[in-house]
Amino acid sequence: MTLLQVRGLKAGYGPLKVLEGIDLEVGEGEIVVMLGANGAGKTTTLRALSGVIPRTGTVEFAGADISKASPESIVRSGVAQVPQGRGTFPELSVDDNMHAGAYPRRDSSAAIKTDIGKWYDVFPRLADRRHQRAGSLSGGEQQMLAIARALMSRPTLLLCDEPSLGLAPLITQELFKVLERLNKEEGLAVLLVEQNANLAMHIASRVYLLETGRIVASGSAAELSADDSIRKAYLGF
Amino acid sequence: MELFLQRLVDGLSEGSIYALIALGLVIIFRGTGHLNFAQGEMALFCAYCVYQFGEWGIPMIPALLMGMVIGFFIGALTEVALVRPVSKRSPFAVFIVTIGVFQFLNWLDSAIWGGQQLPSSAIGSKQRTYPSLFPNDPDDFVTVFGAAIKISSLCIFCMVLVITALLFVVFNYTKLGLAMRAVASNADSAKLVGIKVSQVLMVSWGIAAAIGALGGVAFAGIITTVNTGLMFTVFLYGSAAATLGGFDSPGGAVIGGLTIGVVQNMVAGYADEWVGTSMKVAVSFLVILVVLLVRPSGLFGTAKVERV
Repeated sequence: MTLLQVRGLKAGYGPLKVLEGIDLEVGEGEIVVMLGANGAGKTTTLRALSGVIPRTGTVEFAGADISKASPESIVRSGVAQVPQGRGTFPELSVDDNMHAGAYPRRDSSAAIKTDIGKWYDVFPRLADRRHQRAGSLSGGEQQMLAIARALMSRPTLLLCDEPSLGLAPLITQELFKVLERLNKEEGLAVLLVEQNANLAMHIASRVYLLETGRIVASGSAAELSADDSIRKAYLGF
Repeated sequence: MELFLQRLVDGLSEGSIYALIALGLVIIFRGTGHLNFAQGEMALFCAYCVYQFGEWGIPMIPALLMGMVIGFFIGALTEVALVRPVSKRSPFAVFIVTIGVFQFLNWLDSAIWGGQQLPSSAIGSKQRTYPSLFPNDPDDFVTVFGAAIKISSLCIFCMVLVITALLFVVFNYTKLGLAMRAVASNADSAKLVGIKVSQVLMVSWGIAAAIGALGGVAFAGIITTVNTGLMFTVFLYGSAAATLGGFDSPGGAVIGGLTIGVVQNMVAGYADEWVGTSMKVAVSFLVILVVLLVRPSGLFGTAKVERV
C-alpha cells in the first residue's frame, strides 16, 4: 500500500526554484532513502512535504490530499519531520521539547507522559538529561531528541533530514539502528534524506537519487549500488 | 528609617509600572525579536478608554477589564495587520512600523480626547481625578515602623507580583506557554511540531498590550490625570528595565523595573542636593550602563550559547 504519493512537486524560495517536479512514493512500513549532494534539493523536498514552504504539485498522504494543507494539519495527519541540524528548542528542557512534540495531540496528558516514558526507554541518555536544557546536549543526543520529539506526535511517516550531519559514524550507525527497529516493531515508515550513502543504503528498501531538483535514478538499494556510475558518485568506491 | 521605607515603597510602586511596560516588551521580544516602540502608547490609549468608561458611569474594575480587552485587540491587530506583512523584510521595518503606530495612537488620543489633561479640573467646583485602581485619598495610609505608606503604592506593587506569578504559571505550566516558549526558542521547529506560530505571535502581542494597559491605568491613577505625554517617559524606563533585566527574561523585566523605580526614588530623596531632580534620570541609566558592561545580556537574560 502506498502511504505517501508525490507527483510533480515543485517548490523553492521566492524567485529561486529548487525542485523542478519530483515524483516519489513511500509505501506503508517502508524505509526510503533519498540521496543527493549539497544543494540538490533534499531539505527543500522535506520542507515542501511538511508544508512549511509554498509548493505546487500533488501530495497524497494515506489517501488524502495534503498538498494545500497547513503544517499543523500535516503533522496532525501523521507526518512528522526531524529537521536538519537537530532543530531542537535549545532553551527548553528535554522534557519540554518532548511535550512540544506532542503539541498537536488532543489526548490526555497521562497518555503523553506514557509516550515520553516509552521514548526515554528507547533513548535512555535523554532520560538522564530530561531536566537539562536541550542546547547543552551533545550533537548525537540532540539528534536523538529531535527524533524522539518528532515521534511524540505519533506519526505514521517520519521525514528525517540528514540525521548523520556532524555526527561520528558510530553514533550515526546507532541512530540508524534505532530507525530500523522502529520501522520493524512499530511499522513506522521513514523517508530518510542523506548524503551519507554508505550507512543509509543498508537500511533502505528503496533509494531515490536527487540531482539539482530532479530525481535522476531510483530503485532498490541493491540495484543502485550495482550501477557503476552511481557507486562512484555516491558511494565512493 | 521611616523615610527610607516610604521611599522604598514609593520606588517599588513606580517601578511596578515600569515593570508592567517592560513585561509587555519582553513578551513580544521573546516571540519575535522585535522592540515594540508603541507599547507605551497602546497603554495610554487604553488608559484614555478606561477614563471614558468611567465618565459613562461604568465602575472601575469592569472598566479596567474592558480597557485590557481593548489593549489585547490593539496588540493582536497590530501584529496581524502591520507587523506580520513587513517582518519578512527586516526587523528595522518592524521598528519603523511600531513608531508609526506610536504616532497614530498619540494622534488618535488627542483627536478624541483633546490635547489637555483629563479630567480637567476647571469643570465643576470639586477637584476631580483619574479613577484610581486602589484607595488613593490623602488619608489612605498605613503606618509601618513609623513610616506612612500609601495603600495604593503597596497595592500596585502586590498587583505586579500577582501578575508576574500568573505569567510564570502560564509560561511554564500551560500549553499556550509551552508554545510561546517553543516559538521564542526556534520558530522554524515550532512550525514543524505543529504549533500555529502566527497565532502564538498574535496572542503574545495581545497579552503584551493588555498588560501594558494595566500599567497605563495604574500610572494614570498615581499621577491622577491622563494626558498625551503620560506614557513616553514610562516607556523609556520600561525599555530600560527590560534592558537591565535581560530582554528575554520576564522575571528580569520585573526586577529591572523595580530596581529602576527604587534607585530613582532613593536618588531623588537622598542625593537631591548634589544630583538634582533632572539628573535622577541619568543615574538610573548609569546603573544600567554599568550592569551591561559586566553582563551584556542583562541581569537575567540568557546569552545564546549552543553546542554544535
